[in-house]
Amino acid sequence: MDLLTKFTFVIACLFAEWCVTFITVANCSEMSGDSALKLPPAANVIPVKQASILGSFYSLSLQSTFPEDLEVNEYCVELLHIYRQRYVTFANCLVTYARPVKICQNCYTGFNSLNEIYANISSDQSGPGNVSCNDSLMRSDRLMLLYTLFSNLDNIWIFAKCSQCLAEHQEALTNDTVYFMATLNQSLSCFEQYQRNATELCKDCKDSYKRLNQLYGRMQKNQTLCIDLEDAMNMTQRLWSKTFNCLLPREETVPVIAVSSFMLFLPVIFYLSSFLHSEQKKRKLIHPKRAKSSSSLMNIQDKFS
Amino acid sequence: MANIAKKVSWSSRGDDRGERTPLLNGAEEVKYNRQLSGGAIFHIGRLSTVDLEEEITPEEDIVRSRPKEIPHNEKLLSLKFESLDYDNSENQLFLEEERRMSHMSFRCLEITRWVICGLIGIFTGLIACMIDIAVEYFAGIKYSAVKQNIEKFTELGGLSISLILWAVLNSAFVMVGAITVACFEPVAAGSGIPQIKCYLNGVKIPRVVRLKTLAIKVFGVICSVAGGLAVGKEGPMIHSGAVVAAGVSQGRSTSLKRDFKIFEYFRRDTEKRDFVSAGAAAGVSAAFGAPVGGVLFSLEEGASFWNQMLTWRIFFASMISTFTLNFFLSIYHGKPGQLSSPGLINFGRFDGDRVQYNLYEIPLFIIMGALGGALGALFNIINYWLTIFRIRYIHRPCLQVMEAMLVAAVTATVSFAMIYFSNDCQPLGQDSTEEYPLQLFCADGEYNSMATAFFNTPERSVRSLFHNPPGSYNPITLGLFTLAYFFLAVWTYGLTVSAGVFIPSLLIGAAWGRLFGILLSYIAPSQSIWADPGKYALIGAAAQLGGIVRMTLSLTVILVEATGNVTYGFPIMLVLMTAKIVGDYFIEGLYDIHIKLQSVPFLHWDAPPTSHWLTAREVMSSPVTCFNRVEKVGRIVDVLSNTSTIHNGFPVVVDTTDNDEPGKICGLILRSQLIVLLKHKVFVERASSRLSQRKLQLKDFRDAYPRFPPIQSIHVSQDERECMMDLTEFMNPTPYTVPQETSLPRVFKLFRALGLRHLVVVDNENRVVGLVTRKDLARYHVGKDGLEELHLAQT
Repeated sequence: MDLLTKFTFVIACLFAEWCVTFITVANCSEMSGDSALKLPPAANVIPVKQASILGSFYSLSLQSTFPEDLEVNEYCVELLHIYRQRYVTFANCLVTYARPVKICQNCYTGFNSLNEIYANISSDQSGPGNVSCNDSLMRSDRLMLLYTLFSNLDNIWIFAKCSQCLAEHQEALTNDTVYFMATLNQSLSCFEQYQRNATELCKDCKDSYKRLNQLYGRMQKNQTLCIDLEDAMNMTQRLWSKTFNCLLPREETVPVIAVSSFMLFLPVIFYLSSFLHSEQKKRKLIHPKRAKSSSSLMNIQDKFS
Repeated sequence: MANIAKKVSWSSRGDDRGERTPLLNGAEEVKYNRQLSGGAIFHIGRLSTVDLEEEITPEEDIVRSRPKEIPHNEKLLSLKFESLDYDNSENQLFLEEERRMSHMSFRCLEITRWVICGLIGIFTGLIACMIDIAVEYFAGIKYSAVKQNIEKFTELGGLSISLILWAVLNSAFVMVGAITVACFEPVAAGSGIPQIKCYLNGVKIPRVVRLKTLAIKVFGVICSVAGGLAVGKEGPMIHSGAVVAAGVSQGRSTSLKRDFKIFEYFRRDTEKRDFVSAGAAAGVSAAFGAPVGGVLFSLEEGASFWNQMLTWRIFFASMISTFTLNFFLSIYHGKPGQLSSPGLINFGRFDGDRVQYNLYEIPLFIIMGALGGALGALFNIINYWLTIFRIRYIHRPCLQVMEAMLVAAVTATVSFAMIYFSNDCQPLGQDSTEEYPLQLFCADGEYNSMATAFFNTPERSVRSLFHNPPGSYNPITLGLFTLAYFFLAVWTYGLTVSAGVFIPSLLIGAAWGRLFGILLSYIAPSQSIWADPGKYALIGAAAQLGGIVRMTLSLTVILVEATGNVTYGFPIMLVLMTAKIVGDYFIEGLYDIHIKLQSVPFLHWDAPPTSHWLTAREVMSSPVTCFNRVEKVGRIVDVLSNTSTIHNGFPVVVDTTDNDEPGKICGLILRSQLIVLLKHKVFVERASSRLSQRKLQLKDFRDAYPRFPPIQSIHVSQDERECMMDLTEFMNPTPYTVPQETSLPRVFKLFRALGLRHLVVVDNENRVVGLVTRKDLARYHVGKDGLEELHLAQT
């Protein structure tokens, strides 16, 4: 009982505290509309600024170029240019190594440089002219193209789990990866050697293939696999099982059937024997005391006739 | 003692009966009347004069001389079940206590009720959490051992050894579970839902809400699920919740022999039963993560007595139980404080584009509902015959344990054979949830898709059937799986292990539902419309479960809550309705069948139709054993110790003259009260000495509750037998009475609505002529040939 009350009290306290924090936060965000001065974070300032830009925009007549202060700063244009180049290089690399997948091993430099320029643009540091390229390039419009483009590629990179194969700030392949590649190549060369004779291949390459499989299993557990390795392994497995047809034979059908039918036969014996030998449970009927007057029975018949 | 039989004037046709009456000599001797010749069932509606005359043939007189025994069947009422006293006995002690209590203490009581409900929720949640973790742990051990073994022998040869290993492991788990259940607490067998249903209906099932039962239930369910039987752990949760409620609300445990001296006010059937309904709700809510479903389950399946405050309290208990389960599971899964994980069974979420359904799919859903109803009825019919066989022949504990072990071994064998001979290989998905994928003879990087269904705990299989992307299963695999699992599940339910039927039904349904979905996509011209077989798996699961247990409202809400999806509310409702209608055409729901087979005097919502012509006079038991207001102790002891007539309520009559005229009623006293009185020796002759002692209070009655000592344990000396006992103070002075001409439905309504245990039938001068009890009412039911009467039997 005591414990319970204490527990409830603690919960109540926590809840109250949470409520208070929540209310404060809510108040703050409301306030930011009219008095942005108090709040340092840039995020809160933006709406105000955008409004002012819009205001001045409407005061102008429609022109093909904007006055200088609205034009994108030259420094930022430069950054944009670099971004374009690196983006194209990286995208190019990705497509080149799409099948069979080798993006992690081949494109990490591209990714790193793209990442770098993106970080540059999106950083809040102002370049020369005291202009933040983050605002002018990234967040001026609702499309936010640079951001969307980058985040798509970044997602691909994350989804491919490339960072698991790369070491030292993604600047080199890990030793595991290199070792796996070596093992894989061994198997593949073995496959090539016996390509003609599938039965011999299944026998002779079994060791190297098995080693490869074990290594893969270990790496899977350690989470040091990226899409490159997974794909390579997949292909090898398919080669092994489908192309060379090195499947395990289903040889023991007879013993399995024998054991199964024995097992299935047991319940039949059990039920038969308990039906024959077990004594059937009987229930003793008991007759309750009733006022069985014939008048009531007559009534029944009267009502039914 | 009043004997009504002699008072009734016999008509000419009844004369032969009149001759027999003295022979019968009260109720001590077992009576054999005309019902014997007619076989097991006495068709009231077809009685005719001819029948009456036939009765007194000479053969029958011979039959009458030896005790009549019949094999167990569904048309019996067992004597061992008694009623709960939902009706409050407003005797003088009660009034005094109420007068003493201040307004404040009533407030306190109300608060205490809330605290108890909270505790019920917490403990139920904890138990659910424990079961979940234990099952996961043991099943994990078993499956990884078997998996390793299979992997080893796939390569080296000798898979039959793996098969034997699997079968032996299964049987070992199940054996432990079955032994505990069969030897220590047979009432813990099965899902427990029928028993709780009976309890909430007002039938006292012996030992059903004891702590020992709870312990064995929890242990048994862990063993049977880990043992790979086709069972789930959800039904037992409901029972567990109910036991927790019964235990917590009493503030003591008779199994542990501990009394915490708290919550003493709640030590009576009325209060306990309310809490038990809260416990059942908390159990459902923990099992499925469905708090509202839990409340509705209690409403639909159990509690007869509802008011808005009680409902609200039950809801509170359910919510607390889900919360507790989530909280502790979040700690177990290493994310403390994350409360979003649902109940024991996690159906996964249906969301995104997959949940869409279209108007033209509604007829398909209805067809599936009908199919589910038909399959459910088939399930119930097979299980019905199997259960009868089990009751008749497999009643010794050793046989029951052996049967359970055999079922476990065969389950493993069938699963193994299915997996072995399956050629359905599927690639492992990247977000696959399979914990124990088996490759067997599949290509590397692929796994045997039959194994995802069989080589797993049933819940996980349900989840993969719901959520695996299209193309994960081959139609043939699903078809074979449905077939095999259907028979395994039918065979398993009713074994002497604690286990529920929810999950196997869902699994069967999900399998054929998914099959249905896949076949639709073959038929349909454009693939995209029927894209998702998972949707059909859900509908199939609902249909199958609805067809087996025939729950409606609560099941809809449970499924909606468990899948976290209101969009499917309408199709699920339609499906459950169709399944119930179709299923009811063939046979009753599984729980009702089992209640019937247990010979429980269960009162349904209404009296059987076409029974208005039956009056209280035909229904009642008569003559009635009555006590005088001031009765001799010797007589009371004699009546109570009479083993052949175990009566529990005795009308108290105004002292009459010596003749056999029935006395005028002035109260009703219960056996339990009399026993307490005898124990405390509340005799008139001792009144003077008792003045110095404490006066008997209501508390003394509560302390003895719920297990009043048997009469044999109370010693009454020869002197004391001559004493007198004044019952005025203790009897209920205003029992419910009805005149003899009251119709059966009217009596039934009184019983059902007020939760009565005894209803005194009086004549127009208020003299006691008979007594109606639960068994007198429950024996009428509608059979194939109209109204039938069940027999009372000793079990």
